[in-house]
Amino acid sequence: MANHDLLEIRNLKKYYSVTAGLLSKKAGDVKAVDGVSFTIKEREILGMVGESGCGKSTLGRTILRLEEPTAGEILYKGQDIIRLDKHELRELRKEIQIILQDPDASLDPKMTVGDSICEPLVIHNIGDEKARAQKVAELIQQVGLDVNCASYHPHEFSGGQKQRIGIARALAINPRLIIADEPVSALDVSIQAQILNLMVDVQEEFGLAYLFIAHDLSVIRHMAHRVVVMYLGKIVEQASKQELFQNPLHPYTEALLSAAPSFKSKGKQRIVLQGDVPSPLNPPPGCHFHPRCHRAMPICCQEEPELVEISAGHFVACHL
Amino acid sequence: MTKRTRIPGKEISKPVYINTRLVNYYWQRTSRNKLAVFGLVFILFLILLALIGPSFTADPTLVDFDEKNMPPVGFTNIKSAYHIDTNEFTTTEIRGTGKHPLGTDGKGRDMLSMLVSGAMVSLQVGLIATGIALIIGTILGVLSAYAGGWVDNILMRFTDIMMTFPFFLLLVLIVFIFGPSLAFIVLAIGLTGWTGTARLVRSEALSLRTREFVTAAKALGATDKRVIFHHLIPNVMSLIIVIATMSIPGVILAEAALSFIGLGDPTVPSWGIILEAGQHSLDTAWWIAVEPGIMLFLTVLAFNFLGDGLRDAFDPRSSV
Repeated sequence: MANHDLLEIRNLKKYYSVTAGLLSKKAGDVKAVDGVSFTIKEREILGMVGESGCGKSTLGRTILRLEEPTAGEILYKGQDIIRLDKHELRELRKEIQIILQDPDASLDPKMTVGDSICEPLVIHNIGDEKARAQKVAELIQQVGLDVNCASYHPHEFSGGQKQRIGIARALAINPRLIIADEPVSALDVSIQAQILNLMVDVQEEFGLAYLFIAHDLSVIRHMAHRVVVMYLGKIVEQASKQELFQNPLHPYTEALLSAAPSFKSKGKQRIVLQGDVPSPLNPPPGCHFHPRCHRAMPICCQEEPELVEISAGHFVACHL
Repeated sequence: MTKRTRIPGKEISKPVYINTRLVNYYWQRTSRNKLAVFGLVFILFLILLALIGPSFTADPTLVDFDEKNMPPVGFTNIKSAYHIDTNEFTTTEIRGTGKHPLGTDGKGRDMLSMLVSGAMVSLQVGLIATGIALIIGTILGVLSAYAGGWVDNILMRFTDIMMTFPFFLLLVLIVFIFGPSLAFIVLAIGLTGWTGTARLVRSEALSLRTREFVTAAKALGATDKRVIFHHLIPNVMSLIIVIATMSIPGVILAEAALSFIGLGDPTVPSWGIILEAGQHSLDTAWWIAVEPGIMLFLTVLAFNFLGDGLRDAFDPRSSV
């Protein structure tokens, strides 16, 4: 694994302003992503976990500039993505691709599968018609589908097959980084494994890096090299996979891990979180997690903990 | 999936109209509605009649006062005449002949020929005016939905204003100003008739815009133009086909109504013009008004039936 930083995110923020009343008075900000920093190295799979609504997907979309960030820097190979103009952004799209959550909705129902996979080549004007057709046929086989699929429409495929098509489309322009936004959460468990294995295979074959967003820890355990845990728009813990699963430091990570079903956890006490994720419009003071934390201390509701490096590569934001 | 022997990628771009599987599917759904099949058959008959009919029928402009007000075959008419030399008033009974199977009008013109050439006029009016209206409506609707914000606001308020115009009075005004030329009538109907289409297309495009395949296309680097023309418009196409079949009869009727109140183009023998001429002699020669009336009635009915059938066939939720 190269030690090169492919993507570096510095203090990224994405706020949605909420307006209320007749004159659209600003009522406050939803801090979907609130000061997040991390890096992805080349050929690395960075897993990102967190509950629904913690800002994982927004983060992914912001990296692709599908959403404009409120503040912060996104450095891709040292170049700030946020400052790119329209033309440069198009070039960037060749390097970073996305695989979306719902395979059903992510393919144009009126386009044949071949056209969908071919679209990135057409958009970026790569190759002539013959070369494109060749490439599409290659990609379809690489993701484990029959070549004849090209002339069919998406509704004729199952969810797993559609996700394979989505992967083929993302691979078409040889990206370096793929943002996978919960790529398997809409699929059956049996299909999930196939898709995950396919993703690992193509990762090795194409030398890709992934930002792998999921809410399922077992998926992350299967895929990731390093893991970032998010809660309410902030990173609460970040560590290598082994370190995080063996030695979770943040109570939220502990709770997540104890909720994942496993054969070994017999006798282990389950930590059940009370209540819901608080509203990001009005987050609790101090540590955002303290109202639900089983180890909350008085300081937790006053001071917000910083993300500090406890041991090499293991960051945690907790007063403990 | 059935395997088909095909050169891979050879036909990866294939629009719906040559996609036989999809066409078959929609045809099966449409053909289950017997009224829609009747509508389609009648419309095809009408098109054929308009295209090749005139070469088989007599000249519709041929005036022959000796044969005026001839009844259709199987009907009789009382012809009264005053002979100035003998100072006598005679009545003779005349029968319809094979020469004029649908009778003649007050100037001795052959009704069949006039109806056949009128079919061409009505179809031209219906198709061209609807075509103009659909193109304007689709472009404005999709643009409005895709751009959103102030563009959407301006376009939709403009649509509102257009909608509040009494459409028929506007037509009367245009004909009054520019004179009763068929080209102006068609243009006027087209330029005022797009508002409903714009609304319907906008609402459909609004829901499409947030679908993940649009996000995916943008992430691939697709330009706005590409998203609109390759993703949004193909996906509203089935809606547009339904709107088209539903609005053609309205346009045909509008032209007929204009002709009926004397604002039609007197140089073109449209059904409305014939109908208007016939209403004055309803007591002496009823067929002159009734025959074009029946044609209008059947045409409008046929388009409406077909439109209903198509709407149900394109709607995946309906169980036809």
